[in-house]
Amino acid sequence: MIAHLLRRLFWSLFTVWAVVTATFFIYNVLPEDPARVIAGPQARPADVARIRTQLGLDRPVHVRYGRYMSNLVRIGGPPPDPKNDSAWHLGPLHVDFGVSYLKRKPVTQLLSKALPPTLLVGFLALAIEVAIGAAAGMLAAMKRHGVLDYGTVGLTLIGISAPTFLTGLLLQHLLARELNLFPLDGYGRTTAEQLHAAFLPALTLGLYGAAYYTRLVRDEMITLLKEDYIRTARAKGQREWVVVFRHALRNALLPLVTVIGLSMGSLVGGAIVTEKIFRWPGIGSLSVDAIVERDGPVIMGVVILFSTVVVLANFLVDLSYAFLDPRIRRR
Amino acid sequence: MRSIRTKTEAPCSQQSVRGGTGARRLAYAVLVAGTLTAACRGGVAPPLGTDRDVPPERGGTLRTAFFTDVRGLDAATAFDTAASALESLLYDGLVSYDDAGRIVPVLAERIDKSPDGKRYTFPLRRGVLFHDGTELTAADVKRSIERALHVKTPCPVPSYYERIVGYSAYHDGKVDSLEGVRIDGDYQVSFELTEPDATFLHVLALPTVAPVCKSAGRVWERGFAIAPCGAGPFKLKRYEGGQIIELVRHDGYWDKGKPYLDGVEWYLSMQSFTQRFKFERGDLDYIRELSEADSLLYRSSPAWKGRGEWEPSLTTGGTFMNTEMPPFDNRHVRRAVSFGIDREQVAAVRSGHVRAHAKMVPNVLIPPTPDYPMQRYDYARALEEMKLAGYEYDPKTGRGGYPREINYLAILDSYAQTAAEIYQQQLARIGIRIKIQVVGWPTFLAKTGRRKTAEMGFAGWHADFPDPSTFFEPILSTRSIQDEESQNAAFFSHAEFDGVLDRARRSSDAKERDSLYRRAEEIVVEEAPWATTYTYSYYELWQPYVKGYRPHPVLSQHVRHAYLDSGGKQREARLRSCGTGLAWLDRVACPRAPARTTLALAGGRR
Repeated sequence: MIAHLLRRLFWSLFTVWAVVTATFFIYNVLPEDPARVIAGPQARPADVARIRTQLGLDRPVHVRYGRYMSNLVRIGGPPPDPKNDSAWHLGPLHVDFGVSYLKRKPVTQLLSKALPPTLLVGFLALAIEVAIGAAAGMLAAMKRHGVLDYGTVGLTLIGISAPTFLTGLLLQHLLARELNLFPLDGYGRTTAEQLHAAFLPALTLGLYGAAYYTRLVRDEMITLLKEDYIRTARAKGQREWVVVFRHALRNALLPLVTVIGLSMGSLVGGAIVTEKIFRWPGIGSLSVDAIVERDGPVIMGVVILFSTVVVLANFLVDLSYAFLDPRIRRR
Repeated sequence: MRSIRTKTEAPCSQQSVRGGTGARRLAYAVLVAGTLTAACRGGVAPPLGTDRDVPPERGGTLRTAFFTDVRGLDAATAFDTAASALESLLYDGLVSYDDAGRIVPVLAERIDKSPDGKRYTFPLRRGVLFHDGTELTAADVKRSIERALHVKTPCPVPSYYERIVGYSAYHDGKVDSLEGVRIDGDYQVSFELTEPDATFLHVLALPTVAPVCKSAGRVWERGFAIAPCGAGPFKLKRYEGGQIIELVRHDGYWDKGKPYLDGVEWYLSMQSFTQRFKFERGDLDYIRELSEADSLLYRSSPAWKGRGEWEPSLTTGGTFMNTEMPPFDNRHVRRAVSFGIDREQVAAVRSGHVRAHAKMVPNVLIPPTPDYPMQRYDYARALEEMKLAGYEYDPKTGRGGYPREINYLAILDSYAQTAAEIYQQQLARIGIRIKIQVVGWPTFLAKTGRRKTAEMGFAGWHADFPDPSTFFEPILSTRSIQDEESQNAAFFSHAEFDGVLDRARRSSDAKERDSLYRRAEEIVVEEAPWATTYTYSYYELWQPYVKGYRPHPVLSQHVRHAYLDSGGKQREARLRSCGTGLAWLDRVACPRAPARTTLALAGGRR
């Protein structure tokens, strides 16, 4: 078991390194000049050249890569220049993504500020999609070939097909503009305001996932409800809800956990658009701005953060199998 | 005094809802009500408040929004449109523009220019206070300029100031002081230039070199971008990146009694459709970034007739032709393109925001007259030029023309892409086939700036400052050509043209400058390195209770002199905000608001 975990950990770290390296080189070999973007389309060449020098972009790409990687993770004492320190400190470990070209703030500071809003929406969305997905999938499976089943299947088709930008706009129009139940956009200052404002972006993201999970749970439940142990439970005279909840649904949720781990990436992908629509100050908005403006350090920071999150989530999913399924634990 | 009606109730929004019981019924009701309300609402909401002639009154907060974020508000480094609008509220410079767009002294009492045009002296106003309460002195003016032009400051435009004596030595870090900026006592500052420069006052009017508080220091530090401090009419209260910037009145402002507003709230990164929704509710008082569809709705609405205005455009758009690459090394082909584009058709695709334009300098700076040199659409002349170029084309048979397909570089998701498709169709009629390559903005900049790389593509320019020189020198002079990063994408080099521009820059005689820029425009018409085709403008809207605002000829979103007529605004805005269209739902969604009905409100002061 320990050897398995160590192997998984090694491959996780390797994956993050590979993603970082690939992103760095892709970004740096593009025929684009961040200095030009920073200076603006009308900046004079002398001013662009000055900015390029200030940012160290006039050096060869391998030198920049070496410098970036050596600054990225450092182990040791306090930073040499605390005033211009831009690193995250985890005990003796220092993680430094550099300084944003455009916002001129440490990327760690930008990510620290953007991460809580994204997590808030992400977890709310996850709760919505799992709750709706599990409930609707279970009901559809129980009422198979009924109106509820066909209706649910039809709705999930729409839910999966509709892109988040469309769902977001519709929800914003209906629930915020017309019914005035939620703010049109923004983040809010108090926790209550933030939770209120988070609901629409979370629902936008959650509906997409809910459609997918509904299908998944429905199909799994249909298979499970035909199993011998379900028939046995019914033969023992157990009530139907006990059969469904205790024996069928619990097992049907196992593949759901796998998919949740894998869907962390798509949750972030969806958040990029959703956060823009609802002016949600999370990682999605930060990423869009950084990509449009070719803000290299921010792009790298976001990529590293999310590749780490996705890799970690999958690592945890692997671990969770052992707890959810005793057969795996015994191997 | 006019009575105001809120949006008319549509009969279908009053339908009763029938359904099941309990939660199901409520859910059903909400869904149906929302859908019906949404379906029944068309067009745009009417204006809020009353439109009265009222003298300026103090108080109130103006709320507006940007589509983009604001990266920072340090005068020395922030140069984008969004930041500039806020900087004009936070900082006052030695000079700025009056309502007619003329340069006037602001923190300076007057502008003294030496006869040879190489020395400008500015006696300063006494008693000007920064936001931190300290008094502005000549030393602050010099320190602020040196801070902006310091070698370590990431200022995007230091070269604008290259004609100040000692600029190079200072900007390269060889000396500690900018020799050409001299202070004489606490209240006088002067500038020595290496040669006369007609654009100097314009670059001095940019926020880049506006005086900043002593707390900004002598050398740039990144913290000042989110804690700006100047001598402008408003000071910063709150800055949340991507969300909001709140400004409040600077009570120590030198122009007593101004500004009128208590504050300005500027929402950031707000989508244009959200801006519209908030404007309808009264959550925003003034907007500029409507989508073209929404702008058309407002412009065609009788209720909004005469309530919006086009922002004066300081932009020129069109297409460049690389004069170093075939076939555009042949001036007849360039002229054929210039004659072959029907500019009215190009503009018709986006009626309103895009207008036909056929000269380099925007109409705001040089109004067009019948005898002013301009490019024009002339199909017969276009065919003739093709013949002169050696690529005769027969439109009846489709034979002839330039034999090879020409790559046209356009920018993704921009009007340039749409315009390129129109050029493609129009130029095919004179025997020029173009293949459109759509790329992202950074790639576009990289490719068009590289020598012998881009044959033809989108060309656009926005005034750095309101002077005709900005539409010629940086983009068409020989000096602006480089092997990489060339701003002269046409790689156009013309000795007479360069000479004309140099003379115009040094001249302080307005008439002489006019005639020189007219000659420069003539050369562009004759040589056609660019085919200018359109100009782009924003349609601005403000509620009737917003007074004292008109789009400024030079400064975008210049709201510093605006004031609010408070009568009627608060109450109706709340009703609009809470009006779901259904009385029972209003009681749930906004219990303190009266049930929404057709409402008559007389305007009145709060």
